[in-house]
Amino acid sequence: MTSRREQSLTYAVLGVFSLIALLPIVGIVFTALQEPGGGASFGSFDGLHFDNFRRAWEDGSFGQYLKSSAIVTGSVVVISTVVSILAGYAFGMMRFRFSTPLFYLFLLGLMVPMEAMIVPLYYDLRDLELTDTYWALILPQAGTSIAFGTFWMRAFFRSVPPSLVEAARIDGASSWFTLWRVLLPLAKPAVLTMVVLLFMWTWNEFLLALVMVSDESLRTAPLGLSFFLGRNSSDLTLLAAGAVIVALPVVVLYVFLQRHFIRGMVSGAVKG
Amino acid sequence: MAAVRFSDVRKSYGDLEVVHGLDLDIADGEFMVLVGPSGSGKTTALRMLAGLESITAGEVRIGDRVVNTMAPRERDIAMVFQDYALYPQMTVFENLAFGLRRRKTPKDEIDKRVRSAAASLDLEKYLERKPGQLSGGQAQRVALGRALVRDPQVFLMDEPLSNLDAKLRTQTRGEIKRLQQEVRTTTVYVTHDQVEAMTMGDRIAVMNEGRLEQVGTPEELYEHPANVFVGGFIGSPAMTFFDADAAAADGGGTVLRAEGIDLTVRGVDGLPGRVTVGIRPECARLYDPSESRMSGPVAGEVTFVEALGRETFVGVQVGASNVVVHHEGRAALLPGDRVEFGVLPGALRFFDAETGTAIRTRVVAS
Repeated sequence: MTSRREQSLTYAVLGVFSLIALLPIVGIVFTALQEPGGGASFGSFDGLHFDNFRRAWEDGSFGQYLKSSAIVTGSVVVISTVVSILAGYAFGMMRFRFSTPLFYLFLLGLMVPMEAMIVPLYYDLRDLELTDTYWALILPQAGTSIAFGTFWMRAFFRSVPPSLVEAARIDGASSWFTLWRVLLPLAKPAVLTMVVLLFMWTWNEFLLALVMVSDESLRTAPLGLSFFLGRNSSDLTLLAAGAVIVALPVVVLYVFLQRHFIRGMVSGAVKG
Repeated sequence: MAAVRFSDVRKSYGDLEVVHGLDLDIADGEFMVLVGPSGSGKTTALRMLAGLESITAGEVRIGDRVVNTMAPRERDIAMVFQDYALYPQMTVFENLAFGLRRRKTPKDEIDKRVRSAAASLDLEKYLERKPGQLSGGQAQRVALGRALVRDPQVFLMDEPLSNLDAKLRTQTRGEIKRLQQEVRTTTVYVTHDQVEAMTMGDRIAVMNEGRLEQVGTPEELYEHPANVFVGGFIGSPAMTFFDADAAAADGGGTVLRAEGIDLTVRGVDGLPGRVTVGIRPECARLYDPSESRMSGPVAGEVTFVEALGRETFVGVQVGASNVVVHHEGRAALLPGDRVEFGVLPGALRFFDAETGTAIRTRVVAS
């Protein structure tokens, strides 16, 4: 039982940190809603001007960028989620030869940053004639996402009581059936959390898009935003509106799925 | 229903052998309890029978089929797990029906069997609930029901009562026994609790450190333990032991001598010179000179008093050994008191002092 004083202190600390986290975001949103070119100082407020978003959308051709981002992010998330669930199931539940060294190999993808791989990756993909295609963005990111996703799903499968899987085996379920019908319903919070993380990382990836893509129609939203910033460095409201447009999908997805983060992982599966 | 046979079954993890050549025959329809302390290999033996662990050497048969390499689902067994292992996202009905659905049983047949199992386990009210909404006892009954609906060749139960509280455990013990007697399905039941073993098993297999120590009916194990381990494991409180020199007594019988003990036992003959003597607590009583059949007295110091109301168990330190003595009703004793106790005829069991195996004594009518 925490005392009243402890509780107030907790709220005070949490309040301060939320403020620190929220201020820049609120600032950007407010800036995006200000009168264009109206002697804007960052974060000040003089009425709402939603027209900024329309202008930014048209000037910055964000429609095209968002479409590219959606194609790349959607593909990466779908591919990585399916493969990660399968690989995590194998690493977490099955006993097979060389599983440990193989798993470390997967972890390598987590440890090496994109910046370290990007130059050789560029030459490899150029040789395969994949640069300036969506594949140049999808394949490398699917690779690193599967490394994380496998690690993540393996941890989940390890936490499942083995007796649950054994009961299913004895009851006559195949491995495949056990995975999709017995375990995956339990894995929903873990899988959705993974989806949000992968979505966010892929959506925000900048360097890869910058290096691999020169065709404007293939530019992803963060890359497009960066070019847009370069062109309109004087119009702060327009920049802020562009930033809000690019950030919005991630926020929407998070809000949509956040209740799954909070929900317990396995409730009442077995008696502890 | 089918008989089960373990023939020289071994299990190793790398270089470590944990089951050393298990030979065990379980008859068709029999309730066999595997009992032993943790690490005795009883659960490993059960899991090998289930197909959840591979068999390193030897042969396991269910009926006339060798099942060594058969997948669990092909063995036609059902298992009740210690943690119940209910599928949390499915209702009780779906949990019960899961195995039947996987075996492509017709829908109306599934419905009939699930409802009949639910009826016999008093689960009808809970069929639409999920496992998270059940109490421990209800979840346990669902786990039993899941095995029951399958109508398998063999039931396997891995300490199914250990998560229940004491009262519910006693109640469920009776229920499992009743169900097994109704369906007469061969059952292999693993427990570390000798009370469960004694009350439930048609026969009991006592295991220790990966070896089978003795197989027999509860009475056989209790009356004629094959060795010191079984004697000390079966019975509550357990048999107590002391090492003694045995010699023929003048006028028949045997004199047992150890530090603080000089006991003449009538009707026992032909022991080797050095033995381990086992005494069941209920056969050691506070000394009563008027009871002529009682051997004794042996004097010692009280170490503990366990008053259970109707009876009292008194620990008595005699030389190097601690003997538990039974007393009807309450005993006005405190630790530190000096007491004398005697032993009822036929109460002693003798074991080889070196190997610990039982010595069959020639009982002479007295």
